Amino acid sequence: MNTYYAANLLIFAGVDIIACLALNLQFGVSGVVNFSFIVFQAAGAYAAAVLSMPPDTAPDYSFQIYVGGYQLPFPLPWIGGAIVGGLVALPVGVVVLRRLRADYQAIALLVTSIIANTVINNARPLLNGAAGLALVPQPLDGLVNTSTNSYQYLYIALTAISVAIVWFIAARIVNSPYGRTLRAMRENELAASALGKNSTALKMTIFVVGGAIAGLSGAILVGFLQVWAPSTWLYPETIILFAAVIVGGRGNNVGAILGALLVPVGFEEVTRLLGRMNIGPPNLIPALEWVCIGLLILGFLWFRPKGVVPEQRRVFPGALAVEEETRWVVGKRAR
Amino acid sequence: MSLLIAAFGFGLVSMAVIALAAVGFTMQFGITNMINLAYGEVMIASAFFAYYLNQARVSVWIAMLGGAAFGAVFSFLINRFVYAPFQRKGTALLGMVIVSLAVSLMISNAMLPIVGYFSVAYRERFSHLLRFGDIALSVNQIVIIGLAVAVMLAVHALLRYTRLGKAMRATAANPMLARNCGIPANRVIDAVWLITGSICGLAGVVAALDSDSFTIASGATFLITALAAAVLGGAGQPYGAMIGAVIIGLVTELSAAVWAPDYKQVVAFAILVLVMVLRPQGLLAKRGALAAAG
Repeated sequence: MNTYYAANLLIFAGVDIIACLALNLQFGVSGVVNFSFIVFQAAGAYAAAVLSMPPDTAPDYSFQIYVGGYQLPFPLPWIGGAIVGGLVALPVGVVVLRRLRADYQAIALLVTSIIANTVINNARPLLNGAAGLALVPQPLDGLVNTSTNSYQYLYIALTAISVAIVWFIAARIVNSPYGRTLRAMRENELAASALGKNSTALKMTIFVVGGAIAGLSGAILVGFLQVWAPSTWLYPETIILFAAVIVGGRGNNVGAILGALLVPVGFEEVTRLLGRMNIGPPNLIPALEWVCIGLLILGFLWFRPKGVVPEQRRVFPGALAVEEETRWVVGKRAR
Repeated sequence: MSLLIAAFGFGLVSMAVIALAAVGFTMQFGITNMINLAYGEVMIASAFFAYYLNQARVSVWIAMLGGAAFGAVFSFLINRFVYAPFQRKGTALLGMVIVSLAVSLMISNAMLPIVGYFSVAYRERFSHLLRFGDIALSVNQIVIIGLAVAVMLAVHALLRYTRLGKAMRATAANPMLARNCGIPANRVIDAVWLITGSICGLAGVVAALDSDSFTIASGATFLITALAAAVLGGAGQPYGAMIGAVIIGLVTELSAAVWAPDYKQVVAFAILVLVMVLRPQGLLAKRGALAAAG
């Protein structure tokens, strides 16, 4: 039981860290307010599920209807999840990121998230509709016994390796000249394009890279939970990740990781503790938690817009001190 | 054929409901430069306020006025205590979108313990049908259409023929210049939130009345249709929102008649995607959703 609890906590933490690193690349580093982030996580989860499950004609699986069912061996479903996450990001990016103004991009992505959920919820033959997929095989199922304690540790290790890989990639992106260009676009898109940077292409690449990482996080999650349904990826789930990145400190990876540990993991734990106490009507505590997430976003944007760990100022040695504050989300009072 | 004509009748009702919602939304954006993603939640909160009045044996039409008043006060307070301070602080447009989404999340979840998940309906609904050829509409639906036409005319009169409307248009065009010309921009913006808030509340009650039963989850649906109509017409353009509502109302009802009613929202969304790809600025606006250069 204790091992299961530890596995639960650590794997959720790992998935949230991966998701927050990806969202930070898009929202924190590049200024793309991706309100449909959870859709790419869901795409990866569905892809990993149908890649690892047997066809829906198999005797134990005949109560659900879904496409695919390829029974691929372990690393392939996770890789497939990442690829599908990136592939789904491509058409969304082409429609949304090309010509629209930044705030319209945000609302278009929010609407995309709500509609994608509605479609998957209503179109049963595709991915079993509202009931979702169940009995998703765990990685290495059949090769090792998945019901032992040591398997839980193995899963934690696999998650940790994924976190390390994603962190490495994110760090490379943030510190590369490409990352510098992304930050330039975030701070002043017009100026960046005037210097010959193609902002649409920059946004597209980071949108697809972030989508792929989000897909990987979904694949890890679905391998552990073994179920996936539209009710697990409603649009407010994206807002939790936004709260995490804002609280942690947008634009830097350490902040994103800290935010993931403070907000989604922290709230998960609080729910678990308060859930035992039976206070008020059954839906009171979860509802109040969502209110708290909203307050957290407003509070941090008001009092500490740069988050707990602010993004470090990057200055060239010998450059004149620049006084103007970062103001792409919250800045100084306009005069 | 008669199916399509009947669907046209429902289309008229949808148009009325969507037009009410979209005009309030687009005026908020056009004049105060605020994409208020909490709009759908304010609509559903007003619908529930009217529902409780209605449960206390108040006629649904008077409860509707109550809902409008509730929407006005609620929107005014949200702007006064959340949006306006953040705007004064110099928050960028993108930041304001995040702020309004957080507000939307807070409203719906603060309401949840009070109203619950259950779907509810107004009592004392007039289901008596009037027939015009193949079109059969209930008394309710005809009142809704009349109400929408009246509000559209009132908005037109307000913007065209009153000093307040002129001040609103000036503030929308250039707030700084309007202020320098002696227009009390802050008071104009307060008035905008009260007026659009009351339209929002009215739209919420009307949408709830039209959809027979409603739940707390209807807020997101309301927001999407209002957004689609507003963006189609050209965001910030009240007349554009009216045209957008006519198109979306007709197309969704016709598609529901010939295809599947479950996908009304998806059809509205498909229209939205087409607009964004082909004409991001909308039908009427010159700039609208189009990015600056680059």
